[in-house]
Amino acid sequence: MKKVFVVEKSDNVGTAVGEPIGAGETVGTEGRVTDRTVVARADIPYGHKIALADIPKGAQVTKYGLSIGSALADIKAGDHVHIHNVESNRGRGDKAAQAR
Amino acid sequence: MTEFMGYVRPNGAVGVRNHVLLLSGTVYANKLCDKVASMVAGTVSVTHPLGRCQVRPDLRMTRRFLAGTGINPNVGAVVIVDHFREDGMTAEDLAHDISEATGKPVAVVNIRGEGGLIHATEQAMRYAANFARALSDMRRESVPMSKLLLGTECGTSDTTSGLAGNPATGICSDLVIAEGGRAILAECTEWMGCEEWLTSRAASPAIAEQIVAGVKHIEQRALASGEDIRGSQPTGDNMVGGLTTIEEKSMGAVKKGGSAPVVGYLDVAESPTGTTPGLYVMYGPGHGAESISSMAAAGCQVLVFSTGGGHTSSHPIMPTIKVTGNAESFRLMSDTVELDVSGVLRGEITLEQAGQMIFDEVIAVASGRLTKSETLKDDNSFAIHRVGISI
Repeated sequence: MKKVFVVEKSDNVGTAVGEPIGAGETVGTEGRVTDRTVVARADIPYGHKIALADIPKGAQVTKYGLSIGSALADIKAGDHVHIHNVESNRGRGDKAAQAR
Repeated sequence: MTEFMGYVRPNGAVGVRNHVLLLSGTVYANKLCDKVASMVAGTVSVTHPLGRCQVRPDLRMTRRFLAGTGINPNVGAVVIVDHFREDGMTAEDLAHDISEATGKPVAVVNIRGEGGLIHATEQAMRYAANFARALSDMRRESVPMSKLLLGTECGTSDTTSGLAGNPATGICSDLVIAEGGRAILAECTEWMGCEEWLTSRAASPAIAEQIVAGVKHIEQRALASGEDIRGSQPTGDNMVGGLTTIEEKSMGAVKKGGSAPVVGYLDVAESPTGTTPGLYVMYGPGHGAESISSMAAAGCQVLVFSTGGGHTSSHPIMPTIKVTGNAESFRLMSDTVELDVSGVLRGEITLEQAGQMIFDEVIAVASGRLTKSETLKDDNSFAIHRVGISI
């Protein structure tokens, strides 16, 4: 079984650091969490992240035990997690400009 | 207790190299410095395009970088070359800064003052040759780790950096500090999103406030621009590699700082005044060569450079050890990358073991082992941070 790397126990995403993962494959975990499995709902390229749990729209996406951003849409366990469904909470000059 | 073999300088600082430095004061002296360094054993040249037509704060920055490089204990003696005496940052100013801080031998060669390029080259060569012979009498001595200031950097980061290379570098940094040494974490842009990892370890509330203020200063510039930071951080190649946000990139980067207490906050190229063991955080640029030159000017004798894609970066006077967590990068770039810690991601070695591998390499290099880049004379990473425009 292919595995994704999980940094901290509280993380809701894992990172593909071995072979790329295809949609429909069952994936295990390596790192701080070693007993999880999830079915990939999309292709996960090398270096990219997969959701280990459902993450509702607006909830925090966590890696290293901290938020790496907010979910832009409802994310299902097994989804590819990247710039199409996560936005940064920091350095948002665009939002600051809107507020002005 | 771990010790390393270094060159004890008159002011008590310890070098891990014993270079005669040909230090260029201005772009017009660069070639002369390079030529002398190629002709005289034991010498290295540091050149740059600055020193003229800079606004005052920029000129002060240039002076701090150049003087700091000469002050670094890896340098045993300095020959400063300038082409024309110009107020603001003369070769004499640099010589004063270096000699006052260290007592090490410093000579100044002014191209015009010597009667032109050929006479100046001869004079610089003679100074360099005499210094090199005198320094060759020095012998390495066993010294405690409290004499080591370790720099840490990451560049060409990919997904493996934050998961293997950087956390292993952080464990190495912790090991250095546990033995009484000091380490620097720079690249302040990349603390954004995980300030609390640093502030929660700050030795005083003042240091915690400086950390927050430093990041805020950088974030304010992004906010004032009216732009979304996502246009530039993470970079396009970071995103292709799987990094989604600046927060994620930051967390991977700050992992190089390990888990030791943060005992000091430094400005760009500022040397720690205290000798308290611990992590010193440095406000500074994300630009790799500027960042590592800033740490060399602050007195770091050895640098650990964690790289996802593999790297050639190497500072002229500060041995630069490269580490990667990407097995393919190691295969492609092992001419200049020392260590492969990709076993962490395959579950073959622990992060602690990877950190110990890096620590052992730091001790070996501090005691005289050449880095791969030093062996190939590929010292490519001296750059001075700019804070203003050329005028």
